[in-house]
Amino acid sequence: MISKSSFLVDMKENSKRRLWVLAVFALAFIVLFPTFTALVINRIISRSGWLFETYEKGRAGEILHERLISGMCSTIGVSRVMAVVTAGAAFISAVQGFSYLYSRKKTDFYMGMPIKRKRRFLNIWLNGILLYVVPYLTGLLISILIAAQSGAVDKTVIYEAATALYTNLLFYLCIYHMAVLAVMLTGNIIITGFGFMVFCLYEYVVRMVVVGYKNLFFRYFSSYGMEAEPILSPFFMFGHPLRLFIFALAVGILAYICYLKRPAEAAGKSMTFEITKPVVKVLLIVPTSLFAGLVIADAVGFYPHSSMEGIGYVLFTFAFVIVIGSALIQVIYEFDIKGALHKKSHIVISGVLTAFIFILFRYDLTGYDGYIPEQKNIESVAFIPDSYDMTWEGGTYFDSDGSYMTELEYADKYMQLNNVDDVCELAELSMKEYDQFLRRVEKEGYKEDQEEYWSYATLIYRLKSGRDVTRSVWVNVNNDKAVQLLDSVVGSEEFKKGYMQGASENLDHMLEQADAKRKISAVYGNGIYIKKMSENDAKDFLEVYRRDLALVNFSKIRECIPQAIFSLNIEENVLGSTYGTWQGISGSTRIHTVSVFIYPFYEESIAWLKEHGYYMNCQLNVEDVARVQVVNHNSAQRERLEEKQGTVSGAAADISDVYLNYDGQIDIYGDNEAVDTRVYADYTNQEEMERIVNCIYPDEIVYAYNWNGRRTYDKDYEVIVYFKADSELNREYGSYAYYYFLEEEIPDFVVEDTRYMSYR
Amino acid sequence: MIELRNITKSFDKMKAVDNVSVTIRENTVFGLIGTNGAGKSTVLRMIAGVLEPEQGEIAIDGLPVFDNLDAKKKLYFIADEPYFFANCNAVDMQKYLTSVYPEFAVEDFYNYLVNFGLDKKRKVNTYSKGMKKQLALICGICSGAKYLLCDETFDGLDPVMRQGIKSIFASEMERRGMTPVIASHNLRELEDICDHVGLLHKGGVLLSKDLEDMKCNIQKIQCVFKTIEDEAKVISSLDIMKNEKRGSLNVLTVRGNKAEILAIFATANTVFFEALPLSLEEIFISETEVVGYDIKKLILG
Repeated sequence: MISKSSFLVDMKENSKRRLWVLAVFALAFIVLFPTFTALVINRIISRSGWLFETYEKGRAGEILHERLISGMCSTIGVSRVMAVVTAGAAFISAVQGFSYLYSRKKTDFYMGMPIKRKRRFLNIWLNGILLYVVPYLTGLLISILIAAQSGAVDKTVIYEAATALYTNLLFYLCIYHMAVLAVMLTGNIIITGFGFMVFCLYEYVVRMVVVGYKNLFFRYFSSYGMEAEPILSPFFMFGHPLRLFIFALAVGILAYICYLKRPAEAAGKSMTFEITKPVVKVLLIVPTSLFAGLVIADAVGFYPHSSMEGIGYVLFTFAFVIVIGSALIQVIYEFDIKGALHKKSHIVISGVLTAFIFILFRYDLTGYDGYIPEQKNIESVAFIPDSYDMTWEGGTYFDSDGSYMTELEYADKYMQLNNVDDVCELAELSMKEYDQFLRRVEKEGYKEDQEEYWSYATLIYRLKSGRDVTRSVWVNVNNDKAVQLLDSVVGSEEFKKGYMQGASENLDHMLEQADAKRKISAVYGNGIYIKKMSENDAKDFLEVYRRDLALVNFSKIRECIPQAIFSLNIEENVLGSTYGTWQGISGSTRIHTVSVFIYPFYEESIAWLKEHGYYMNCQLNVEDVARVQVVNHNSAQRERLEEKQGTVSGAAADISDVYLNYDGQIDIYGDNEAVDTRVYADYTNQEEMERIVNCIYPDEIVYAYNWNGRRTYDKDYEVIVYFKADSELNREYGSYAYYYFLEEEIPDFVVEDTRYMSYR
Repeated sequence: MIELRNITKSFDKMKAVDNVSVTIRENTVFGLIGTNGAGKSTVLRMIAGVLEPEQGEIAIDGLPVFDNLDAKKKLYFIADEPYFFANCNAVDMQKYLTSVYPEFAVEDFYNYLVNFGLDKKRKVNTYSKGMKKQLALICGICSGAKYLLCDETFDGLDPVMRQGIKSIFASEMERRGMTPVIASHNLRELEDICDHVGLLHKGGVLLSKDLEDMKCNIQKIQCVFKTIEDEAKVISSLDIMKNEKRGSLNVLTVRGNKAEILAIFATANTVFFEALPLSLEEIFISETEVVGYDIKKLILG
């Protein structure tokens, strides 16, 4: 049994050997931390003079108090800065504490002393924790006292401080134990540093390599789920105390076992345990060579879906990295340059493993690509188109608790399609057709006027076994059979619930729970004119909207241009919150917009809008327009001219090619090198302007990409509308704005006026 | 008593100590001698519990030593390069060792410091190499440990200091039965200190004997026989380890009791006879040559 008093004496003696660490930590936590807190408080107070000039004293005091609390929460709460400091402190403390193991002189001295190994470990380990906890806690208390002097402390601040304390302590333990483990497995500080870096990055790199090769070789690979955070890195466990605790405990036990097993003669060597040398070497070399292969594949444009050109470079890279890497690691192991020539068998093993993994992906030995589980084994499916029927602000999803989710996460959670057979048939049909298409392209080359319109979607098959299988698919939305299946899939209630945020009751909950921290405003508009909607009206409208939405299917939406957009703007105060500070959000608020298209066939919605005075019956009122200018890029003519003149550029003109610069007047600059085929036409005549404004749309309504392949704006034309000085639009958008014609909906006179005539 | 039974230790597949068995009796000065790389330090580090043998057992008064607090309390190990805490002085070392060795003789420690002329307030890293060794020895002597393991500790100490240490050893051995174990590559360094010597070579023990026994059992005789018959008669009666003949002069190294050997020579006619004193070096040369080693190359360089 360990005597309590002698244990404390040992602790005291050990702490004497670590005074410089204590001094550094004390400087950081006891001096700098409270000083920083005082500066933050001073800054907030010194910049609050205007509050008392603007508001009455009581209100100004309240605002100042809120700001002080908020400032304190972000200063003493969970933050990236403190996480970085904690990680650094943990590494220093661990390495300094156990650094005696690097030196034979020191191991001879310490291990010759009549102190049991486990007791020495406990002494150093505990001291290493106290070195952090005591200064941090002291600094935290001083900071709180300083803040209390200015009234900047309340229960929120105390809660944030407590949260930060236990989160940082658990994080410290994780990093501390990782560093101790690195010390135990290595024999000198430089190798320990490398080892620690490997612990931090290994899983990340391996995941990156796996995803990279799946992406390179598998046509139907979906990266969803692959971007999941590394499970073995504490850096990705912040905010998950239990995970941090389990990680710290597991790594701590492992480090302790390695300590007990560590022989004294490991001092000064590169690696402690001989048995780990070849394992570590191969485990480092194989992913490194594969990673280097990926980098080179990218650099030389190796794209195995279409051709194997460039594979030689990739294979050479593997060989090069394996040989050089293996030699380098052996030199490090032996601390001798001659070591480069030793252990050639490791080169062979690494080479074989690398080749095997490469072949595994290259020839899809696991049958990964194009795998569709048997229908009888599937519980449910999620079919997630990539930005289907989405407004500009699309892709904003909220969970039932109001937390933000991605499109895929949302669908993964909420979309349980039961028409499994339709989804599987669609997947099979699409993959087959896409394979044929690629073969054709490979054979005949890519043609601009191809019949297919390919849209990307992610499929999540949830198997009865509990496993999820995720694949991607390219769907030809111009294929009649595919359209028929899409009508069934996209038209289903389960799809809408799991994909259309507007169909979700989560929005209603958010509207109900809107408060000072999360403000929600509703807006209805057609991309030109907007009307604000009250919260109650928004709730009512959502109900009506959902009834209309229930009736739509893929074909119906595909054939129609949206008439308007209904939006909910969610403004969230994130200052001081764990999420906000950790995610590095610099401002105090985060704004999300959830918006949905309103189509002309949404009869009930339109009736409701009319009834409540929100409906807009025109795109743009000509009464608001002073002048219209149309620019036609005549890109087809430009291409032909360029071909004729031998100009390198043969690409079609696109609005994105044009740089707009406003400097008192509008001007449009194209590429000076290219042939300029743009033709401008100005319209001030009321009748012509009316005909034009009835045909133009803001690009929010008709933007370039539509998943379902419906018509978009004509990329050749731009319409610049100058508003009258006294119009509402002038106040909203400035003196002018851009609009676009739909394809094949351009007034004849505009086509005539802007035709490029110089072409022969 | 320290008992090493068939201990083996390898570093990177090279055997540093191979099947060594040695017994170190209490209250003697045990010298462990061997060339560089013979395995002396490894043996001492294993006895000190720093290294764990791959095979065999080490017992300190019957207790296994590795990570055994009771056994380790009986030991103090002074490595070939003694370690002292960074920026510490002798007082800091005393405080630490007092916390580790409950029987640390604080008063003696400061007395020895004065006697050896070491400034207790001076930082140890400013000490000379010899001063550091003196301090390490003082620490070890005052620790109260029964067994003091010294690895090349006497190398570099001047004769006056060696004499001083020797007398302290003698008094501590007498007072509390301290048993110093001294490893050295230089036989001459141990000659005047050790009672018992173990010779290590290439990880194995060549011999382990009491110096007195060795001295008493080997005699060196210089003589000239009157006749060939006399020579043959004496030589056949003696256990001769070595016979060098320079003309008619015989230089014999003979195993056996001096009186018995003299009695044998008395039975023969000699023109000249002289019994010569043997140095430890010569005893070792003779003993190791018997087993086929050239000790001059091994130890004396």
